[in-house]
Amino acid sequence: MKEPMARSKQTDADERTPIRDRWSARPSGDSDEALAGALLRSAAVVPPFPAKNLAEVAARLRSRERHLPRTWAWQVAVAVGLLLFGGALYAAVLHILRGPSVVSPSPALPVSMPASGPVRRRHVGVAPALAPANSPVPEPPPVAGGGESGGKLESVPGKALLEPPPAPLANPSALAQESRLLAGAIHKLRQERNPGQALAMLDQHRARFGAKGALEPEAKVTRIEALLRLGRHDQALGLLDAQVLTAAEVGREMLVARAELRAEKGRCGAALNDFNLLLAAETPPDLVTERALYGRATCRAQQSDWTGARSDLEHYLARFPKGRFVDQARTAVGR
Amino acid sequence: MTLVRSDATPVIESRSGVPDLETLYRTHALTVARWAAKLAGPLVDVDDLVHEIFLVVRRRLPEFRGDAQVTTWLYRITERVAQESRRKDRFRRWFSRARHLEIEGTMAPSHLTPVDEFERRQSTETVYRILDRLPGKYRSVLILFELEELSGEEIATLTGLKLATVWVHLHRARARFIAEMKRDSGRNT
Repeated sequence: MKEPMARSKQTDADERTPIRDRWSARPSGDSDEALAGALLRSAAVVPPFPAKNLAEVAARLRSRERHLPRTWAWQVAVAVGLLLFGGALYAAVLHILRGPSVVSPSPALPVSMPASGPVRRRHVGVAPALAPANSPVPEPPPVAGGGESGGKLESVPGKALLEPPPAPLANPSALAQESRLLAGAIHKLRQERNPGQALAMLDQHRARFGAKGALEPEAKVTRIEALLRLGRHDQALGLLDAQVLTAAEVGREMLVARAELRAEKGRCGAALNDFNLLLAAETPPDLVTERALYGRATCRAQQSDWTGARSDLEHYLARFPKGRFVDQARTAVGR
Repeated sequence: MTLVRSDATPVIESRSGVPDLETLYRTHALTVARWAAKLAGPLVDVDDLVHEIFLVVRRRLPEFRGDAQVTTWLYRITERVAQESRRKDRFRRWFSRARHLEIEGTMAPSHLTPVDEFERRQSTETVYRILDRLPGKYRSVLILFELEELSGEEIATLTGLKLATVWVHLHRARARFIAEMKRDSGRNT
């Protein structure tokens, strides 16, 4: 007995030893520590917070925007939720530990039930509640409109929401409810191809969570997509016009969609701003760049900038020889 | 006591009287932004996070009686807000594909994520994916030591932990980080 205790004391002493060398300061190598150091170095570089952003946040603080003090009602709701969950968890654990033999028969059970026979443990609904918070493969949240759609989410390859959602929270927080509603809308839109119903669910989302919802940006993009699928371009453009978009990551897709819609409405000046923004940076050879290049050529041609349009089309043909607008581009440049 | 980092940002300073929000913001916003960026990871909007943190600071400022140093108090708020932000981010990541327009028929479809951008951020995201599997107390200490490059003594002051506890957490955090890194890369399978 003494030996493990001695070893434990030794471990404790080792763990209290000060560490002076940082992995992130180690030179590259094959050891685990060196590999960890290389990874950590990449994360250590954080650009300084720009003075402009500092001033913007200060202005937001002064304007008291989004200053939402917690109300006692919210705190009571959380407490009640935790109590209910705790009660349910306690009952579930008791149920498993004691098994069916100690469960008192419900008065509602029919008296003619056979007294003997195979006794089955009822685990329905218990396992998810007992799953650890960071369970690797949590269940997807139920999607509004029926349990069947929840199952389909994981079964459709190449579609959105293939990954399981985060582990269910201890209490159904506003965030969990919001995510459930938005998941339903996305499912309606992308799996069931029903933009009308998706829009209805997004309206519900807006009514319940307003502009302060944690997932409001995702809801907005889903709404734009639904409106476009319904052919309601004016409304989609209205939403996109109100966005401050950048040519980074997902913003590129929104930016090119807005540019195309603006061009479609004859607002080529505004469309060119978006196309230029997209094409100013070094662009990957993807569909967004292809659309932006062809779209800019079209807008330049509409504004009688023949040189610019021709340059874009030549560039397009060189970069996207198998692109979807190749025939039109060739015709335009006379090849 | 004032410990000054190489960037001349005061890390720990003596407290004389309760400062007002304006002074706190002017003096500590940059430090708070750096903590927030490192604690929350690359997927979080630092502007919003700093805003949220100082909203909490404003709300709690009347309760601040100076039992802890201002920096310790600010760090604790930052850590809590960053933690909440990461919780929200777990949901957001699940919905990340919703941020991509999938338009067919009316517009040219585009489903691609720029590869270059993905590769550029991959390492940082790997670090935070691994860090997110660590218990919060280990995660914070490892970030402060490796990314923020604070000494054990500075971490102890900032977090309010005993120095010995800092070292224990750091040893365990490192062991867990290596284990999770191996698991992440599939090297141990």
